[in-house]
Amino acid sequence: MKKVQWFWISVLGSVILRFILFYSSKNLNLSSRPEIATPLTSLRRLAEGYWLKQSSMSPYSGSMYHGSPLLLTLLGPLTVTRIEGQPDHLLCGFVFVIADVICAMLIRATGETLQAAYSSRLKLLGLHHLSQNSGEVLPSGDLAALVYLWNPFTIVACIGLSTSAIENLMVVLSLYGACKRLAPLAAFGWVMATHLSLYPAILLIPVILLFGYGLDAPPRKLFLQRKKFEVDNSSSSDNNRLEEGVRNQLSMLNVFSWKSVSHFLFWTLLWSSYVLVLCSIYLRQHGGLQELFKRTYGFILTIPDLSPNIGVFWYFFAEVFDFFRNFFLIVFHGNILLMMVPLALRLNHRPCFLAFVYIVISSMLKSYPSVGDSALYLGLLGLFAYELRDMQFSFFLISGYVGASLLSPVMHNLWIWRGTGNANFYFGTAITYACFQIILVVESVSAMLNHDRMLKKLSTAKLVKT
Amino acid sequence: MVEGEVEKAKMRARPIVKLGIFLISHSSFVSVICLIAAIVALLLLPVLAKNTYISENALMPGSANSMLSTQDVSEANKLVKDLAHLYLRSPIESQQIIGQYMSGLDAEVTYQKFYPQLNRFHPLHFFTNSDLGISSSNMNCSSLGINTVGIIRAPRGDGKEAIVLVTPYNPEKNGVGEALSLGIAYSVFSLLSRVTWLAKDIVWLVADSRYGEHSAVDAWLREYHDPVFHRNDLTDSETCNESNTTTELEQKLYVDKKFYSGFRRAGTMAAALVIKVAEDSNHFEDSLNIYAEASNGQMPNLDLINIVNYLAVHKEGLRIQVKKIWSLLGFRWLNTLGVVFESVGQIARSLNPQWKFGIPASEYVEGTATLASSLYCQAFGVPTGPHGAFRDYQIDAITLEISPKVSLSKMTMRNDFILRGGRLLEGVVRSINNLLEKFHQSFFLYLLTSPSKFVSVGVYMIPFVLLITPLPLVAASLHIDASKSTTPQTTEVDVSRKSWKWLNSARKVFVIHLWGVVVALFPYFLCRMPNSTPTTNFTLWGLLSAFSLIILYLILGSPVFEASSSQPEKREWASIKSVTTTAAFIGLSLMSVINFATAEIGALFIIPICLMVRPLKLDAQARSLRTLLRATLNLVLGFIAFPPVAYVLLKVVFDDVDGFSVGEYWNWVESLWAWNSATYLYVGIVHLPCWALCIHILFHPC
Repeated sequence: MKKVQWFWISVLGSVILRFILFYSSKNLNLSSRPEIATPLTSLRRLAEGYWLKQSSMSPYSGSMYHGSPLLLTLLGPLTVTRIEGQPDHLLCGFVFVIADVICAMLIRATGETLQAAYSSRLKLLGLHHLSQNSGEVLPSGDLAALVYLWNPFTIVACIGLSTSAIENLMVVLSLYGACKRLAPLAAFGWVMATHLSLYPAILLIPVILLFGYGLDAPPRKLFLQRKKFEVDNSSSSDNNRLEEGVRNQLSMLNVFSWKSVSHFLFWTLLWSSYVLVLCSIYLRQHGGLQELFKRTYGFILTIPDLSPNIGVFWYFFAEVFDFFRNFFLIVFHGNILLMMVPLALRLNHRPCFLAFVYIVISSMLKSYPSVGDSALYLGLLGLFAYELRDMQFSFFLISGYVGASLLSPVMHNLWIWRGTGNANFYFGTAITYACFQIILVVESVSAMLNHDRMLKKLSTAKLVKT
Repeated sequence: MVEGEVEKAKMRARPIVKLGIFLISHSSFVSVICLIAAIVALLLLPVLAKNTYISENALMPGSANSMLSTQDVSEANKLVKDLAHLYLRSPIESQQIIGQYMSGLDAEVTYQKFYPQLNRFHPLHFFTNSDLGISSSNMNCSSLGINTVGIIRAPRGDGKEAIVLVTPYNPEKNGVGEALSLGIAYSVFSLLSRVTWLAKDIVWLVADSRYGEHSAVDAWLREYHDPVFHRNDLTDSETCNESNTTTELEQKLYVDKKFYSGFRRAGTMAAALVIKVAEDSNHFEDSLNIYAEASNGQMPNLDLINIVNYLAVHKEGLRIQVKKIWSLLGFRWLNTLGVVFESVGQIARSLNPQWKFGIPASEYVEGTATLASSLYCQAFGVPTGPHGAFRDYQIDAITLEISPKVSLSKMTMRNDFILRGGRLLEGVVRSINNLLEKFHQSFFLYLLTSPSKFVSVGVYMIPFVLLITPLPLVAASLHIDASKSTTPQTTEVDVSRKSWKWLNSARKVFVIHLWGVVVALFPYFLCRMPNSTPTTNFTLWGLLSAFSLIILYLILGSPVFEASSSQPEKREWASIKSVTTTAAFIGLSLMSVINFATAEIGALFIIPICLMVRPLKLDAQARSLRTLLRATLNLVLGFIAFPPVAYVLLKVVFDDVDGFSVGEYWNWVESLWAWNSATYLYVGIVHLPCWALCIHILFHPC
């Protein structure tokens, strides 16, 4: 009971902290920092787009705004309303705070579902003692939600009025829907997330796996072993009804349920056509859907804006010769796609973790990354706190994250304001940051695989013993 | 597949991993070696200094003959005399005379009214770099200053670039030195108004230094770069009597039709030169002092100093100097060290004549004194003159302080002096005039060891890197030890999160750093107290800090936070130490990017205690000579690293002052945040918390 109380107090605390910062961070200029506001997520650009639309021009004219038209209708009116005596964009900030809190709640609910499912699976394998004893520490769902809410990256992205809070909400919504097997919700989340920032499109694989195979579980081979063992046992001795039930459950686990997947795909189709229709209505007089695709997805994929950010693309594409540009665009974007299939094959029994790994990789290799993306995957990392508790280099990683995120504004200042540094200084921190993200992915995946190996060892030992 | 890749990566990285493990396992040995090497490298810096050279070819200093004639000089002398005669009259009149002289040269003249900025607390100014509107609440009419600005348009220029000459002038004091500096500037200005080769506009700013030189220049620069359109203080000023006098002042110029009541601009500034004349004259020859340090240890481009140095030495025959710490010159051990380095250099040369290593001992001592002063001035992050205001707008600027050989009252000497100063200035302006782009060729990050010798960033980073290398190594070895020793290995699958154990101590370290932030914020409230002396302020500050620390300790000790660590850990101090060292490492590396000198000096204080610290209880229990020695050394180091003590030590060594009051530290702190120095943030957020954590470990009840 006390734990629950603490959880809500800290949620409230994080909200209050955000409001305090809204009122006191005026001279920090967070909303114009390159680490927070990318051309895709900056609210200032959104306000500009809204203004253009209001004066009956295309919101995309002048290469200012590159987001979705739906965000314009949602946030646009809020950017122009000002309350006397309050900071600008307070209403938008309010929306982002709500988005953050909802996101955290969804992460928490997802965590609870995952944990319940995981311990029931472990029970099937006869490894009861491995499931988390919730009395000792926070359940992983609560932990993940708190990590998400209190993460400085999330707070800074929220104060900096970056729309990545809404993108993150959509991603989490689709994961939540898939975990709860709510096809319409999952489809909505996925469609919206893809519509807003394109990269979540690769989450289609984990979501389909979630619908097909169900939630994260120990490797499927173990269940097959167990089932074989049970069958062998039952053939020799009498089979009672309880064992029958277990066996049924075990066999159910390995069936890919095409029905729910097709259900999900149907809803996806429905939602995406709905979104497209809405967009085309909104942009009817300004070039329609073709303009939309060119200005949003085209902008993401061809990287015309080379202003510095924490990613690694801007520097490279500022340097590369023009006639190699297309080739390297394909290579760089192919990088993400290249890693998808092997990871999906190896981690198909853990779709949520697979989604986490995809999100880390895409936020590392996307064309306009910001700290808001890191906030999402660091929050999701909390969901697997139990499985990843033996992760190596955790201290090193967190120190690295702290160091890189503090060094980045300093280097930017040295380059832009003092003029004593140059672009290499800033890019150096971007490289460091990318390295730490790579280490995070490698270490978390290897910790997860080690966890699986340990489960396999224990389960076979148990079978041999009996 | 991924697994395979990881395995492969491990295979490939094996030698590096081996090396890393070797270094971490021998961390104490490695850190001793690193520290000794760092000290040696630091002492070697004057030996490793290179001669300066002019890197930008376009500058071509001294390639043209000086055109400044005696006629210009006698005109200038007339101005000096006129100003001297005004001694007893109102300050406005002297500015009027300067304006008249300027407009007599066909220059565009404007007066800029400004209010000196009051000390403001902007510790985050470094990151934000956005000037907020000046709060006009504290301004009154009595503190109105007037800058006089004259602009010559270049006949060959497009009006997009400018060179700025600044002469601080206090019309109330009206000293002979300031008048002479005006004379030098005027002689050059009058020459430049006639020449045909000028490609950049010349701006001559006579900064009203009644309320400080820096604030006047800063006010002008702010108006120049970020004009404020809806300012309230202008309407305020209309109610003042002073504004009447300025309009009166402007009236005379209206007749010539050269006066424009608005603010005049002339392109981006390529460089700025502040000219001063020192009034004390106890030197053997005319000499020139160069001041270059701007806020947060920023330096102007080395080429600017190079031109001045080249012209002063080779053309005008001035003795040129940069600031030195005189007290270091008398140190016997430094001299011995210089002799040692000299003899090593001689041996090296006898082995191979091409090894040019080693400098004469006296030169070494002088170089060290200059280097120390360079470090010391940069470390405080407070500009050493009005040139500091320019660096905030990325303009390279230096202050030239010319000190004459004899008293300036004699007329002929005066003419000669103005001629020499004017020729130097003319040469520098002519050289900058040749510049095609802004200064970028030469170094921005350097330390001077003499006017013609410098240590570049690549060299001076070596001692610092050696100094901080042990920190991550020690942190890693302690971290490994701590996580090893705390795994109980009860079952095959122990539920203790061994790899996350450190989070507990990380929380403590974080809270102490938060305390550092709170302590850094206290002066903001304290300085608003009316009628308080520095001493009371300092004591209050200390009390408040201690009080907040106690509150934090109580919160930390409450059962809510201790829930996760139910069993007291045996080697908790080791894990705290490992996190502290990491925090110090991150903080020092960050600071070395912001202000290298602060990081270097801070590292010398904090790193020994960070590396050495060990609970006294453990050392006392062991009761061997070695441990007792270590315990006393720890206590001494802990005492030295306490920021006020460190400050006093620095003052004693570098500034050679004897008497000390507690209030002095407060005054220093106040000056730091008045100048938006990042050193203040470093002391508050990095140094003090790390020191507090070290003391916590020292008295840890293990």
